[in-house]
Amino acid sequence: MRRISTASLMSLHIVPIVFIRDLSKLYRQGDINIAALHDVSLDIASGEFIVLMGPSGSGKSTLLHIIAGIDRPTHGSCRVQDTDVARLNESQLADWRNRNVGFVFQSFNLIPVLTAFENVELPLLLTGLNASRRRQQVTTALNLVGLGDRQDHLPRQLSGGQEQRVAIARALVTDPPLIVADEPTGNLDAKSATDVLEILRNLSQQAGKTVIMVTHDPKAAAYGTRQLHLEKGEIVV
Amino acid sequence: MPAVFTLLIDSFLAITALGIAAVFLTAFLSAVPVKYNLKSVYIRWRSTLATVVGIGLVVLVFVLLQSLAVGIEKSNASTGDPRNILIARKGATAESSSLVTRAQLRTLQYFEEIERNAEGDPVISADVLVLASLPRIGPSGEANVLLRGVTARGMELRPQVQLVAGRWFSPGRREIVVSRKLAGRFANFKVGDSFKTGPALLTVVGWLDGAGSAYDSECWMDADESRSLFEREMYSTFLVRPKNPEAATNLIRRIENDKRLQLRAESETGYYRKQTLTAAPIKWLAGFLALTMSIGAVFAAMNTMYAAVGARTREIGTLRVLGFHRRNVIVTFLLEGILLAMLGGALGCLISLKWNGYTTATLSIESFSETVFAFTITPVLVGQGMFFAAALGFWGTLLPAVRAARLPIISALKSL
Amino acid sequence: MTLGGFILKNALRNKRRALLSVLSVAVSLFLFITLQVALRELTQPPEDLGSSLRIIVRNRVSLVSPLPARQLQVIEKIPGIVAVTPFTFFGGLYKGDERFTSFAQFAVDPVRVKDVIIDAKVDDTEYASWVADRTLCIVGLDTARRYNLKRGDRMQFTGTFFPCDLDLRVAGFYHGTADDRTVFFHQRYLDEALGNPGTVGCWWARAASPEDAALVTARIDQAFANSSAEVRAETERAFQLGFISMWANIKVLIGSICTVVVFTLLLVTVSTMSMAIRERFRELAVLKALGFRRRELLGFILAESFGLSMLGAVLGAGGAWLLYRNLDIQKLANGVFLAFEVTPRMMGMAFAIAALLGIFSAIGPAFSVARTSVVEGLRTLD
Repeated sequence: MRRISTASLMSLHIVPIVFIRDLSKLYRQGDINIAALHDVSLDIASGEFIVLMGPSGSGKSTLLHIIAGIDRPTHGSCRVQDTDVARLNESQLADWRNRNVGFVFQSFNLIPVLTAFENVELPLLLTGLNASRRRQQVTTALNLVGLGDRQDHLPRQLSGGQEQRVAIARALVTDPPLIVADEPTGNLDAKSATDVLEILRNLSQQAGKTVIMVTHDPKAAAYGTRQLHLEKGEIVV
Repeated sequence: MPAVFTLLIDSFLAITALGIAAVFLTAFLSAVPVKYNLKSVYIRWRSTLATVVGIGLVVLVFVLLQSLAVGIEKSNASTGDPRNILIARKGATAESSSLVTRAQLRTLQYFEEIERNAEGDPVISADVLVLASLPRIGPSGEANVLLRGVTARGMELRPQVQLVAGRWFSPGRREIVVSRKLAGRFANFKVGDSFKTGPALLTVVGWLDGAGSAYDSECWMDADESRSLFEREMYSTFLVRPKNPEAATNLIRRIENDKRLQLRAESETGYYRKQTLTAAPIKWLAGFLALTMSIGAVFAAMNTMYAAVGARTREIGTLRVLGFHRRNVIVTFLLEGILLAMLGGALGCLISLKWNGYTTATLSIESFSETVFAFTITPVLVGQGMFFAAALGFWGTLLPAVRAARLPIISALKSL
Repeated sequence: MTLGGFILKNALRNKRRALLSVLSVAVSLFLFITLQVALRELTQPPEDLGSSLRIIVRNRVSLVSPLPARQLQVIEKIPGIVAVTPFTFFGGLYKGDERFTSFAQFAVDPVRVKDVIIDAKVDDTEYASWVADRTLCIVGLDTARRYNLKRGDRMQFTGTFFPCDLDLRVAGFYHGTADDRTVFFHQRYLDEALGNPGTVGCWWARAASPEDAALVTARIDQAFANSSAEVRAETERAFQLGFISMWANIKVLIGSICTVVVFTLLLVTVSTMSMAIRERFRELAVLKALGFRRRELLGFILAESFGLSMLGAVLGAGGAWLLYRNLDIQKLANGVFLAFEVTPRMMGMAFAIAALLGIFSAIGPAFSVARTSVVEGLRTLD
C-alpha cells in the first residue's frame, strides 16, 4: 500500500535526502560480469520509510549497502544530503557513516562481551563527547527502544527481540538522519518483529528519520511508506 | 660485535619503541574501544593464557640472565674506595698474577703524593694474593679461592670489609678470616675449623663480609705469614691512599711515566669496574636467548592473535559499519596484543624478583677464583623486561592487526 | 579422496596457522639443539685415548702455583711413567687481543713432549727445526688456519701471568689431537726470559696404559708428600672435568634455563595447535553426524597435530644439524667453541619432544570432542 506517491512528494517540494542516478554494480565471477544493480535511479525523501523487496540476488542488499556507505558502486552516483558517497575514500567514508547512518543487521551483531549500554555507547566513542554526555545519549536511546532497565545485561542475557532493540538503539544513538536495516526481523518471532517494526515506524513518523529496510516478509513491508521491488538489479515497481 | 650489526639492532629497537609509543598515543588520543578488547580477551582464555605465560617465561629468562650479569658487574662496581690507588705489575690482568718487589715498595715510600698517617708512615698496603684450590661442600670438587695476605694498613684502606663472626687473625699465626658468603660453599670454613693448603694448616678464626663487593669472594690472612707459608719473595699489589685527588692524578702519571718501575696505577674502583670478562658471556647468552626465544614467542602470539581476529571478523565489520576507521581497528588490536604481552612481562618480572638477592657463584675469568655475587634485579632491568614484552606483543600482533583492518566490511553482514 | 588426503587438506586449510605452528616448533627445537650442543661442548671436553693416558701434575695449593724444576728427575723414575715434560701455561695475549686470547700457549721440553702427546702429527723436518731453535714454536692447525699463519711467521704474546713477553716464530704445525689450537714453545725460552727461576707450571706425563694411570698418579702424589711443594697428579680427563667443575652454579643455572626455554616454547605451541583443532569443533560434530566414530575422529586430530609437530622437528632439529655441520663455528664463536657437534642422542631427544608435543596438543581437543554430543557441537559457533 502506498500512502504517499513520489509525485505528491515532489509536489510538496520536499528535498530528497537520497538522490541516486544510474547506479550500477558489477561483480566479476570468473570471466563473466554479473550486474547486481543495473542503472538504478531513485530519490528518497526525508522521513520516508522505504521497504526494499525482491528475491535473493535481486540487488536489494547491494543497493542498501551502497546507500549505507559500506559498498561502492561501479558506475553512477549516490548522493546522500549533498554528499556523493561513491566519491569518499575509506577514511572519509568511516566518518560519514558514523555521523549519517545507523545500521541494523539481521543477526543483531552486538559485541558479545559488552553490555547493552556499552554496545550502544560504541559509536559515540568516535564523536569526542565526554562521558556524561555519552551516558545521557545512550540512556535516551535505550529508553526509546524500551530497554532502559536492561543497560547492564550482556547480549546473551537478552532475548532476540531485545537484542535487536539494543541494536536499533545503537543505530540511532548518534542521531543520524538515515537508518538502514537489513532484514531486521529475519531472526525474530512474530511478537518481537512487531515491536521492532513499530519502533522503526515511530522513528520515521515521529523523529523524522529516513528508514530504509530490506525484507522478505510482506507483513513487515506493510509498515513502510513506500515499497520498492527489485528484480535482476532493476527497480520494477 | 660488528658495528653494522649493533646499528641494525639499535634501529630495530628504535622502530619498535616508536611503534609502541604510537599505539599508546593513538589509543589515548582517538577512539579505541579499549573496553571491548579487554573484555574480548576472556573469550579465548586458554590460548591467551598460554601466550601470556609463554611471554612471561621468555621475559623471566631474559631478566634472570641479565640479573646475573648485573650482579657480577655490581659486585665489581661496588668494590674499593675511590680515594685509593691500586698499583700492579704492568701487563698483569689480575691482582693474583701481579708481582711487585720490595725494592719497588721502598721507592714508593718516598713518593710525597702518598698520605702519611699519625706516625708519619706512608699509607701503603702491600698485599700478597695466593690462589688456593680447596674442596667445596658436597661432591662438587675443588675450586680456587683467593687468599689475600694483608696488613693492618690494608684493612684500614678497605673499610667495606667488616668482621661478622669470630675475631681477626693475629699477625705471625697461621690464622685466616674467610668470607661469610664463601663459608656456605666450601668445606671446613666454619669458625674454629682448619684446612690444609700446600704444606700449611690454616685455622679459620672469623668471618668477614664485604658488603656486596668483590671482597666477599676473598679470605684474609696476615701478609707476612702468607709470604712465608707460600714461599713468596715478592708482593702482589700495592694499595695506596694519596693525599688528595690532585695528588692521586699526579701519582698515577708519575708511576706510569717511570720506566724503571714497570708498574701500572689506577684508581681502585676503576680497576674493579673494568673486570667485565666474566659477565660478558652471560650477557651474550641472554641476548642470544632473547633473540631466538622471541622468534618463537612472536610466532605463537601471531597464531593467537590471528585466531582472535578470525573469530571476531563479524565484530570488526560491525565496528567498521559504525564508523570506526581502519587505523582504529589496527590500534585496537595492537593495544590488545601489547597489553597482554606486558601482562606476561609483568608476570615474568614478578617471578624473577623471587631470585633477587639470591647468592650464587662462578669462576671469575679475571681472578681465576670462585666469585660470589647475587642476582640483582634493578628497576632498569625490569624496565627492559617490560619493553621486551611490549616489543613481543607489538610484533606478534602487527600482521594480525593489519589483517583485521583489511577485512571487508561486508563480512559483518554475513550470518554464520 | 582418501582419508590421508582428508587429514592433509584439513591440516593445511589454514595455511598461515599451519605454517606458524610448524615454525614455532622448529624454532623451539632449533634452540633446544643449540643449547644442548653448547652445554655439552662446555661441560664435556673432547675425549680421546690420550686423555686417559696422560697425567697432569700441578701444585697442591692451586694450578697457578709453580713447581720446582728439580721434581723432573723424581717423576721420570716413577714406575709406569713413559715420558714427562714441563708444561707451563703462559696465558699471554696474542697481538690484537686486548683482554682475552682464546687459545693457550704452553712452554714444554720439545724433545720430551713428543712422547707425551703421541697423537699429534707433525712433519719431521718442521719438528727437527723446532727442536733446534728455542725461539720457534709449533702451532695447532686450527689456530694456524684461523690466523692464516705460515711457516716463519712471527707470533708475539704479551705476558699476563708472567712478567715477560714472547716473540716466537712458527716452525710448523701439528694436528690429530682432540684440540688442535695450542701453541707449544720451549720451556728454556721462558726460563731465560724470567731469569731462570728454576720452576715450571705443571708436569705433563704419559702412563704406559690407562690401567696404570690411577696407580701412577697415586705414586706421584706420594713421592712429594710432605715436601715443600706437594703435588696433585690426575689424568688429563680428570683434570679437565675438575676445571669445568670450577664453573660452579653457572652450569646448573644455564641447564635449568634451557629447560625453561624449551618448556615455554612448547607450552605456547601446544596451546596454539590445540586451538587450531578446537576451532573446528563444528566440523568434527558434522563428521560425527555423518557416522564417523570417536576413535576415527581421535585419529584425525592426532594425525594432524603429530604431523605438524614432526614437520617442525624435521625443520628445526634437521636445520640445526645441517647448519652446525657446515658452519665454521670456531671462526664464528671466536674460538670459544671447538666442534659444535650435534649428536644422534640430541636428535633423538628433539624428535621425542616433537612426538610428545603432537600427543599433548591432541589430548585436550580429543577429550572435548569425545565428550561433546553432535547437537552441542553443531551449536558451537566458535
